[in-house]
Amino acid sequence: MAQATHSTKVVHAMFDDDHRLLDAARALVGKGIRIKDVYSPFPLHGLDPIIGIKRTRMGIVSFMFGAGGLSLALLGMWYFMIYDWPMNIGGKPSFSLLENLPAFIPVTFEFTVFCAAHGMAITYLLRNGTLPGMPAVNPDPRTTDDKFVMEITDADNPGMSTEELNDILKSVGAIEINEKHLSKK
Amino acid sequence: MHKEAAIRQPLILGNKSYHDITVDVISPIENKAPRAWYVLITITGLISLWGLGCITYLISTGIGVWGLNKTVGWAWDITNFVWWVGIGHAGTLISAVLLLFRQKWRMAINRSAEAMTIFAVMMAALFPGIHMGRIWVAYWVLPLPNTFGSLWVNFNSPLLWDVFAISTYFTVSLVFWYIGLIPDFATIRDRMTNPLTKKIYGLLSFGWSGRAKHWTRFEEVSLVLAGLATPLVFSVHSIVSMDFATSVIPGWHTTIFPPYFVSGAVFSGFAMVLTLLLIMRKVMKLENYITIKHIEYMNIVIIVTGSIVGVAYLTELFISWYSGVEYESYAFINRFSGPYAWSYWIMMTCNVISPQLFWFKKIRTNLTATFILSIVVNIGMWFERFVIIVTSLHRDYVPSSWSMFYPTWVDIGIFLGTIGIFFTLFLLFARFFPVLALNELKTILKVSGEKYKKEDH
Amino acid sequence: MASNKKYWVGLEELHGTPGFQEASKNEFAPDSVSVDEFLGEGNLGESSTNRRDFLKFLGFGVTAATIAACETPVIKSIPYVNKPESITPGVPTYYASTFFDGTDYGSILVKTREGRPIFIKGNKKHGLNKGSLTARMNSSVLSLYDGTRLKAPVAEGKETTWAEIDKSITSELTTVSGNGKTIALLTGTIISPSTRQAINAFVLKYGEGNVKVIAYDAVSAYGIRKGNELSFGKAMIPDYNFAKAKTIVSISADFMNSWLLNTQYLPDYLKNRNPDADWMSKHFQFESTLSLTGSNADHRAAILPSQEGAVALALYNEVAKKLGASAYNVSTDGLPIEAITKAAESLYANRGAALVIAGCNDPNLQVVVNALNSLLDSYGNTISNNAETFVKQGNDTDVLALVSDMNAGKIGALIVYGVNPAYSLPNAEGFAEGLAKVGTTISFSSWADETASRCKFICPDNHYLESWNDYYPKTGHYALAQPTIGKLYDTRQAQDSILTWSGIESSYHEYIKGVWQKYATSMGSESLLFDDLWNNALRNGALSVNESTIVFEALINAENVQSAASILAAGGASSDGYEVVLYTKVGIGDGTHATNPWLQELPDPISKITWDNYIAMNPADAEQFGFNLHYGQELPASMARITVGDKSVELPVIAQPGQKRGSVSIALGYGRGANGENIGRAAFRTKNYGGYELDSTGNRIPIGKNVYPMVEVKDGVMIYHNHGAAIEAIGATFPIAATQTHHTLMGRDSVLRETTLAVFKSSPRSVYNPQHLLAIHEGGEIVKKDVNEIDIWNAHPVEGVGHRWGMSIDLTTCIGCGACITSCHSENNVPVVGKDEVRRGRDMHWLRIDRYYSSEQNMEKAEKEGTGVITAYREMEVPEYDNPSTVHMPMMCQHCNHAPCETVCPVAATTHSNEGLNQMTYNRCIGTRYCANNCPYKVRRFNWFNYKAYGKFGEVNPAQDEMARMVLNPDVTVRARGVMEKCSMCVQRIQGGKLAAKIKGEPVSDGNIITACAEACPTEAITFGDLNDVKSKVRTHADNDRSYHALDEVGAKPNVSYKVKVRNV
Repeated sequence: MAQATHSTKVVHAMFDDDHRLLDAARALVGKGIRIKDVYSPFPLHGLDPIIGIKRTRMGIVSFMFGAGGLSLALLGMWYFMIYDWPMNIGGKPSFSLLENLPAFIPVTFEFTVFCAAHGMAITYLLRNGTLPGMPAVNPDPRTTDDKFVMEITDADNPGMSTEELNDILKSVGAIEINEKHLSKK
Repeated sequence: MHKEAAIRQPLILGNKSYHDITVDVISPIENKAPRAWYVLITITGLISLWGLGCITYLISTGIGVWGLNKTVGWAWDITNFVWWVGIGHAGTLISAVLLLFRQKWRMAINRSAEAMTIFAVMMAALFPGIHMGRIWVAYWVLPLPNTFGSLWVNFNSPLLWDVFAISTYFTVSLVFWYIGLIPDFATIRDRMTNPLTKKIYGLLSFGWSGRAKHWTRFEEVSLVLAGLATPLVFSVHSIVSMDFATSVIPGWHTTIFPPYFVSGAVFSGFAMVLTLLLIMRKVMKLENYITIKHIEYMNIVIIVTGSIVGVAYLTELFISWYSGVEYESYAFINRFSGPYAWSYWIMMTCNVISPQLFWFKKIRTNLTATFILSIVVNIGMWFERFVIIVTSLHRDYVPSSWSMFYPTWVDIGIFLGTIGIFFTLFLLFARFFPVLALNELKTILKVSGEKYKKEDH
Repeated sequence: MASNKKYWVGLEELHGTPGFQEASKNEFAPDSVSVDEFLGEGNLGESSTNRRDFLKFLGFGVTAATIAACETPVIKSIPYVNKPESITPGVPTYYASTFFDGTDYGSILVKTREGRPIFIKGNKKHGLNKGSLTARMNSSVLSLYDGTRLKAPVAEGKETTWAEIDKSITSELTTVSGNGKTIALLTGTIISPSTRQAINAFVLKYGEGNVKVIAYDAVSAYGIRKGNELSFGKAMIPDYNFAKAKTIVSISADFMNSWLLNTQYLPDYLKNRNPDADWMSKHFQFESTLSLTGSNADHRAAILPSQEGAVALALYNEVAKKLGASAYNVSTDGLPIEAITKAAESLYANRGAALVIAGCNDPNLQVVVNALNSLLDSYGNTISNNAETFVKQGNDTDVLALVSDMNAGKIGALIVYGVNPAYSLPNAEGFAEGLAKVGTTISFSSWADETASRCKFICPDNHYLESWNDYYPKTGHYALAQPTIGKLYDTRQAQDSILTWSGIESSYHEYIKGVWQKYATSMGSESLLFDDLWNNALRNGALSVNESTIVFEALINAENVQSAASILAAGGASSDGYEVVLYTKVGIGDGTHATNPWLQELPDPISKITWDNYIAMNPADAEQFGFNLHYGQELPASMARITVGDKSVELPVIAQPGQKRGSVSIALGYGRGANGENIGRAAFRTKNYGGYELDSTGNRIPIGKNVYPMVEVKDGVMIYHNHGAAIEAIGATFPIAATQTHHTLMGRDSVLRETTLAVFKSSPRSVYNPQHLLAIHEGGEIVKKDVNEIDIWNAHPVEGVGHRWGMSIDLTTCIGCGACITSCHSENNVPVVGKDEVRRGRDMHWLRIDRYYSSEQNMEKAEKEGTGVITAYREMEVPEYDNPSTVHMPMMCQHCNHAPCETVCPVAATTHSNEGLNQMTYNRCIGTRYCANNCPYKVRRFNWFNYKAYGKFGEVNPAQDEMARMVLNPDVTVRARGVMEKCSMCVQRIQGGKLAAKIKGEPVSDGNIITACAEACPTEAITFGDLNDVKSKVRTHADNDRSYHALDEVGAKPNVSYKVKVRNV
């Protein structure tokens, strides 16, 4: 008993078809089983609501970076061209940002995009924890090929014996089920 | 979920399963490369070396080793630059714009198209660098405070806009491309048996595991990047065109340039994609993924953009006459009747007449015809830039300075060199990278796969 | 001031214990290993080096090496211990001096910096040239530093000392005079009274009977002297006064370039070329080759050289008819009758203010011209008969006689001074052979040139900037030349040598003073005042005295005219074949300056070709031969062989509009050093990647070909044209380096505008100089506005804000002589790039002179005749073949207020100064060349290579020569490879001028700052100044009705304005 509390069991149910997995997920959730995660070789549309994954905020991130880039670009050009070292270049006005703005549009735009894109990309990688040298954690190599694996931990589903779980999973068409003991430190 | 009309031709032929796709795409990486590949890369490799030699000579001796003179300050250098940037546009257009428009057929070609973009932009970026008289101070184009006091760059200069445009364009497309590659690297990683390659692809895949949450983010990020890349595609070549449009030289000072350059870019880009894909699908047996349908779609894009370009040429001519400015009108009269008329007419034939052949379904679905025309188009587009740059400069305002431009062997060597490097890079890509977007293809298998379509009906 | 407190290390030091003193002797502590202890040669072998020692040595070695490497090179600069009074570092000192090389004469000011002459300009205050000079004159500063000059006297090919050479020469001369043989002294024209004296002394020393002094000019005017002898009984050249001439008729006299005292005639001539004045002189030119002078004439008629006589007679007859004088019979068929009648009318109308001159050496022609002049009563008016000109004293007959004497062995010793007969004589071989027969041969040449290399002794003369001299160019005018730098090499002034050999001790400097003193006393000025006179003359460089003596009676010898007329009428019309005109170019002149890279690279004012001479042929003739009509980078010229008598050369053929059909022109002065003589670095062809082209014998191949052998010798006179030439194509081609390959204006009147005096006088500005109007919407309707009033942005203010440096160029007075180009070259350290680069369109001239020919086609005509636009433009590219009107347009950076170049520079390397200058920041430039592309005037120049080090330019660019580098202007940086450069309006001078004004504590006054080009311009066509100074000269020019901005409609708003060219037709 003492040991059980110190260890948690993880069940990996493998499916060989995305639609079947979706149906299964629906069924399991209906039975009140909490699905921890799903590993798939490609995005499964419609899965997120079922297993309760919230909408990502990547878009907002990129917008914020973009906004930052925009203001930085404008501020910079104002400082370089108008405040710090105004020059007479081809007789063009260098008296105020507004006068010179037409010439600043292209760089402003490019820099905005630059920051938005890279800011978001970096956040995305950090948030995922997908970075050079990170270990892969998918339970089975086939999940990046054509198999789909559902991860259920008994920690999430207390008071459900492994046997029942297996039966249910079999019934919804899992082709393979294997358990793992992860010892909690 | 997305359904596709039955009458639509499937995009993935043959009775493919998810696994088949994986195998088809990854086998070239796992197996030994065909002899053809080795032959090709040796040739392109040698050409690249020659090009690099010429560049070394150029940088060590001076810009004088090119054929430029006091009147024609730019010729092949900037011609090549614009040409390569233009070619680059197709990739981003396919992967970004078509993604926004939910064009599923893009999935078979976007990966390689993007790769092409990256390599083309690399080649393009080379020229503004080496065309500088003092490349060793090239970093002065960045707004860095320096030892001479606060000496900043000139944000009025289109050339500086280029610096920002090109660098943004290059890095963003690179990121876009790589983020798409990560899951596919994971797939390769998980199939690899050889520990070394497994390790390498493991590194490249950033430990991707295909969690549900990651996939959601993945799709969001791809969508946003596409949204960002789309205006970027149009802005970059617009800005490149402003190098000319904002100047005072008759033949350059033309407001029509931005749209005209962008369509020209897409035009040449698609042609180059076709050139590459037609070889690739043959060599790597991807006929089931890159189908005649794909080719046809691209040819249609070529007709459209080609016609836009044609209209632009005629508009230029008309305006030059209509403006009543003697320099303007002479610049264009000189283009089609002056010492460089031959290049003008090459441009006209290749860019305006040849793509019209694609109106015939027979031709636009014929691989050989497509292949030949795709090359013709790119020849034409190179000459378009040559015509714009050289024929405008060599006879501008003051007749006493009128002169001719003659390329030297270094001009030619460097241009060939970039072509060599470009193809070398692409060959390496085809050998070691997943040339199709696995994870994307798999999402459309059931919608547009031949097998499943049959099952449904 | 360091504190001199003494800190002692310890009590030992304080008390100076013996122990300490011992210790303090050896630097290292006793237990440390001293360097020589372990590096000692001797015991190193047997020293048992253990690991620790090894490491110790290693450590030391490495550190020592490192330390040694770290040492920065020490540049030794030695300060003046006591500063010479005349030299302040950074401040130029000017010396008045005089230039005379047999072709050009003029009073000059030599600018020296830290004791080095670096720039030459005309002396505007003193001297008869009133500050005007030629490109040859201001380029001569470079030849001073020529590293190939002889650096010591040479006897029989070996360097020796002056003492040695003097000994042997004097002994040889005495023996020669002893055994009754002649000592011949062959000199150029000598207009130096003191030199004459010295020579007289020499003559006396060796016996009057024994010494012959013969004057020789490579390009002589002996015919003119002879003609005057026939007319007036005195062989002389009168003083022409162009300032008084209302009508000038020149029969192939190139008086703007090289004819007689051209530097005096030019400013006088241009006094009367101002359309704003009450009257403007009218200039007719009859000539075969399109000369500099002809290109500036109001009326130019192309004639064959053989027709010159007939033209002179026809003119005479026309005028005589009007005056009721008797005419001479001459057939006028084939002559430009219309031009002749026009000229005659104008001459007649301006009797007493008319001037007729002829360049040809045919005495008969000169006689007729003299007659015509006296008919027009020019003598006493436009031709002074109480002053004569002493230049061009060469006596062809004597020279030719000398050659035969030498061959006959009559000459015992020959001394050659200032001439190069072995190169420039028509029968140079004859001379060379004769020279071999002469026992003692002495040359004063600075190089072992064609003549000197054949001489036994070479006593190299100083460069004129290292020399003392005095001059007497014409009656009543004296000038002095003084050294502006110590001798660079162990050379000696020729006069000093002569004095030494004549046994006179005193230095030439003293000698001159003596001569002047004698003269001064003879003029009645007391000797105690002499020092003032001398110092004055020396400071001013020139001195005019009143010597009104009747030089000759202007009474024409009638029967001589009669006979001359009949000879001319009979002769002339030559046999079949082509007639050949032999002329001197603005750059190279008679060949003296062939080694000067600035002049080699100076484009010919007409053909714009550099680094070559060629056969100039009318395009129509060239077409018949099937020669290439166009030349350019990859369009070489066709080669042809031209044969005159037994002489023949192979030269490229240039289709030259305005060249009379049936005649060709070839420039003299090329083909120097054909037998491998070392006459300087720039005189030879160079390979495309550096080094010289060598012929089969391993000699360097000279630039161009020598055509002196084609000079016709007619009864003892050298005539610089010839006839009966056979021309044949030889199939080969030859690359040509021209700075301009397109020759017509294409009807672009906003680039260059010209009108006629009549129109200018009678009509408003809108007719001859219309503003550019732009139709714009304003308040609903369309209004036409001057482009300069329209601005899409609120620009930086320029009017009345501080200085605004600007320039005004008068196209009427600009004659295109090119003196400004070489002046700019030497002021701004502009690199010389050589033929191949010029061919590739990469000449570096900051200032160029565009030359346009008129075309028969123009848009109006085309519309009338219904010619298509394309064809019309094609035809407009073709200049008129037979007699195009020519315009010269100096073009340099226009310093635009809205400069297109500035906007496009990514790194702001070119910006606008608040004084209206378009600044180029070399050390910021990254070399994108975008600015050059976007310059409507195409005046920006790019450093394609590292001109100051790259091998390709080793032979041509002075900056690569040890010595010639000294000519560089220390105020101007030598530009690095890969940067853009262009006219800076001599910003270094502007700053200098502002500083000077600041020190004086007063505002910069107009005219105190002047650019190198404006300074050099002999015709004052270029005015520089502050446009914001409303009283300044440049402002008045800019506000003038004739003033316009080139390409005004582009809207660049230049600070350089041009003034419409007005022709008096």
